[in-house]
Order: sequence, then structure tokens, then C-alpha cells
Amino acid sequence: MATKSIGSEYLKGLWDENPVFRQLLGMCPTLAVTGTVITGIAMGLATTFVLILSSIVVASIKKLIPAQVRIASYIVVIASFVTIADQVLKAYFYPISEALGPYVPLIVVNCIILGRQEAFASKNSIGRSFVDALGMSSGFVLALLILSSVREILGAGTFLGYQVMGAWFKPWIIMILPAGAFITLGILLGIALLIESKTKRS
Amino acid sequence: MELAAIFISAVLVQNFVLYYFLGICPFLGVSKKIDSAVSMGLAVTFVMSITAVVSWLINNLILIPYDLGYLQIVSFILVIASLVQLVEMFIRKISPPLYQALGIYLPLITTNCAIMGLALIAALNELGFVETVIFGFGSGIGFTLAIVLMAGIREQLDLSDVPEPLKGAGIALIVAGIMALAFNGFIGMLT
Amino acid sequence: MNLSARMIIVLTTVGLISGGFLAGVAKLTKEKIALNIQAEIEEAIQEVVAGAEINQVLHEEDDLVIYKETKGDGELVGFALQATGVGFQDKITLMFGLDAPLKNITGLTIISQSETPGLGAKIEDWDAFLQFWQNRDATGPLTLRKPPARTAEDLSRSEINTITAATISSQKVLGIVNFSIERLRQLIQQGTIAVEEKDGN
Repeated sequence: MATKSIGSEYLKGLWDENPVFRQLLGMCPTLAVTGTVITGIAMGLATTFVLILSSIVVASIKKLIPAQVRIASYIVVIASFVTIADQVLKAYFYPISEALGPYVPLIVVNCIILGRQEAFASKNSIGRSFVDALGMSSGFVLALLILSSVREILGAGTFLGYQVMGAWFKPWIIMILPAGAFITLGILLGIALLIESKTKRS
Repeated sequence: MELAAIFISAVLVQNFVLYYFLGICPFLGVSKKIDSAVSMGLAVTFVMSITAVVSWLINNLILIPYDLGYLQIVSFILVIASLVQLVEMFIRKISPPLYQALGIYLPLITTNCAIMGLALIAALNELGFVETVIFGFGSGIGFTLAIVLMAGIREQLDLSDVPEPLKGAGIALIVAGIMALAFNGFIGMLT
Repeated sequence: MNLSARMIIVLTTVGLISGGFLAGVAKLTKEKIALNIQAEIEEAIQEVVAGAEINQVLHEEDDLVIYKETKGDGELVGFALQATGVGFQDKITLMFGLDAPLKNITGLTIISQSETPGLGAKIEDWDAFLQFWQNRDATGPLTLRKPPARTAEDLSRSEINTITAATISSQKVLGIVNFSIERLRQLIQQGTIAVEEKDGN
């Protein structure tokens, strides 16, 4: 396999291998906390923290871990960083922690993180793993941003809490409900595939 | 809370997939055929029930008394990973055909957010031992219900004319949204 | 070194290092977290009992905490009750205030709820619900006015306006408040709580 340039190692996470839209990973948090843009971004940043640090640690110690216990070891590493993220949020960003609820600990089972350790960090250098993690995180945050923007603007008429739709607009409550999350993500996936097929053709 | 109420709430009103958004990966990945959906659902219910018991024991006998709350996430996920490993070995010995049927689904259960979610939510709500077991079993049944219903719909969809970009995950999510709306109707039935 | 031994050593080391690390972080954040939780309660109390300076827990049981509110010099300002009950969707936790003679409800605020967004969730909204909780009669059970009155003045002092299309959530909040006041009176009667009552209740 030819080695990619550092640039494309990062960019692939944004579109070609976008964890949510293309790889269909990390759906649980994507659906759960995208009711408002602020919670979507907060979750994205927390996941970024865990993904980048876990990838760096795993890439550093990969030679020391026997293959049979690698999954268990990765899990301990990931779980530790998730715990730290959870504690820091509770201590310094209490309102956000309340809004995200049990979904911060659930970052530990976000398939994106374990997936990247298994597929990349365990086989690549620390530097590349860092860039890969950064790219995947950016792609994830991008997906959360798009989904939560749609849901907040249409569901509450606001963006980051600021009124953006005029008084004439009656919010589509369904957008805030679970149903709205599912449907919006489904449509966004469809759009992503549509764009993909159109660009492939030309 | 009454035990029956906890059960019904977990299956219908606060269905793990359609309300809590847990277990989406297997929900989308394994819901194409009714048979595999049923197998996955049963395996998940089994693991969830045991996880409920073990996580309650760990939380209430070790973590809380010794003020080790910060080890909750790490200990829960390790328990789940080990349990899945054990269940896999157990099924392989007891019933090779069942093992063949479940195949790759079993290891996938580890990253099934539903199991971890179950342990966390039960601990968050400070449920008692029996309540946690009922909650675990009920959530598993709820997951199975959602995934089997979805498989049934998708088997029909396969014969319909779905627009190309929406095929697969796209249409599955939209259907899930409609199901979620339908399940919304269960809210308040326990009042 | 054979494989099994190596596996065990690696796992144990990884476990110990992360365990130690986590213990350290936990220690650093423990106090801040406790303070955050406390701040949230105190803020809620300030919203429902005006002029309170010192909070003192009078009584605590499952789903109900009763605070005595005094000024710096010991003058009794009122009481704050933090109660949790089952709502339409999930649990509702609220804080409401009573004046010193236990005759009036001085205000209500919602601490946490998971009601239907846009409908039941309006129990957190001042215009739609909370404003009607100012200056209510606490000597008897409160009732819901349905359909809701046009203005707060049209309500009798023992009535609360229902939120349109969210009757059940409104009812649940009312239920929690009525129940808590009943419980408070019960505790006073039993002698579990001693309260000086200004006008003899």
C-alpha cells in the first residue's frame, strides 16, 4: 500500500472516509446529542480529545502488547480517557455535562475510536496516528455540526441559542424528537451518497 | 417504581433503540433479515441481563463502598468485554449450530452501546438489584422488538423501488424515524 | 517469558497505570464537582425564596429535601422544598418556596425534567407556567385551571394555569407540590420538624 501524504491522511477523515456519513460508525451519539448545536459540538470535542490521545498512546505501546490482549488493552486506554473527559466536564463545564448526560461515558463504545485503534493506530507511527485521529475527529465534528444545525434551526428556530428564524416560523418539534434525528440523518446520508455518485461520474 | 412499569417502560415507552439511540450499529447492520435479527436480539438480551446483574454487583459491592466511582466506566466495559468473550465460548461448546448462526455478531456486541448504556443508566438511576435485572431484561426485549420489526419492514423494502442514494442505511434510518414516532404514542401509557 | 505470563503482566500494568492516573484526576476534580451540584441547588433556592441568605437542611428523605431559609441575623425568611416525582415522560425535580407562616407559595422553578420538547417541557417556561406560581395559597391543595385563564389576575390564589396541550405535565408538577406540602405538614404534626409558626396554622 503506497504511503499517503500527511495532508491526505488528514483529509480522508473529512469526506472520503467520514466516520459517520461513509463508514456509518458512531451513530449513537450522533443521533442522541444533536438536538442543539452546542451539545453536538461539545460531544464532538470530547470525542476528539479521547480519540487523539488514545491513538497516540496505542501507537506508542503497540509493540509491547501481545495480540491476544490488544482489544482489552485498547479498551482500558480508551475508557481511561473517557473517564477523564467526563470528570473534567462535570467539574468545569457543569451545564454541558448535564445536557450530555450519560452519553459522555458512552464515548467509550463509540465504534469510531476502537475502530481507529484496531485499523490504524496499532499499525502506524505515532505521527501518522495523530493525523489520522485528527482527521477522523474533524469528520465526526463536521457530521455532528451539520446534523445539529439542521435540527436546531428547524426544530427550535435558533442556532447556538440565538434566534435565527423570524417570528413567523413555527418550529418543527419533530426535529428535536428522536424521530427527527433518525429521519434527518437518513436524508443526509442519502445526500452524501448522491454527491458521491455524481462526482464519481464526472 | 413497580417492576411491571420498569419492564414496559424499557420495552415500549423508553425503548433503547428508538428513544435512547443505543444499539444503532447492530440495529442498522443486522436488521436485513428477520432470522438474523431474532438471533442478534436474543444474544443481546442474554448478555444484557447478565451485564445488569454483574454491573449492579460491581457498582454496589465494590465501587460505591470504596469510593471508586471514577472506575465505573473502565470496570463496566471490561466486564462487558469479558462477558461477551465468555458467552461466545459457552455457546460454541453448548451449541455449535447456534454459534455458526450468530457468527460474527457476537464480538460485535461488545461495542454495542446498548449494553454499556444499560449498565450506565441503571447505575445513574440508582435502581435496586431486582429492578436492575428487570430493566436489563426489558431493554434487551425492547432492542429485539425494534430490530425484528425493522427487519420485517426491510425485507419488504427490498422488493420496493427505493431511490439509489437512500438504499441501505438511508432508508433504514428514515424507517427508524417513523417507528420512533409510532413508539412516541406509548408515552404516558403508564400514567 | 511465555505468552500467558506476558499477557497477564501487560494487562495488569496497563490496568494499574490507568487506575492510578484516574485516581489522580478524580482527586483533582472531586471538590469542584461537589461545588457545582451545590451551586445548582442554591441558585434554585434563590429563585424561589427571595432574600434568603442561609440555607439549612431541616429534613431529608427519598425524593424530598426541606431547607430552612434565614437571613444572616437568624430571621426566618421561609422554606425551600426540593422534590422529585414522576412526570409524563420521566422524573421531574423541582424547587418551590414557602413563606415563614407556611401560608403562601413564593415561587417555583424546575431543576430537571425530560418532558416532551415544545409541550410538556414548557413547565420550565416563565410565561407559560412558572409565573403563575408566584404568591399562591399554600393552606389547601392547589388545582389546575383548564382551559387556562387569559391573565394571571383571572386565577384564584389556589389555581395554576394549565399549559395548553400539556395538561399531564402540568398535573404532574401540581401533584408533586401538593404532595410535598402535605408531607411537610405531616412531619410538623409528628414533631419530626419544629417550626415557629407566626399566625398559628
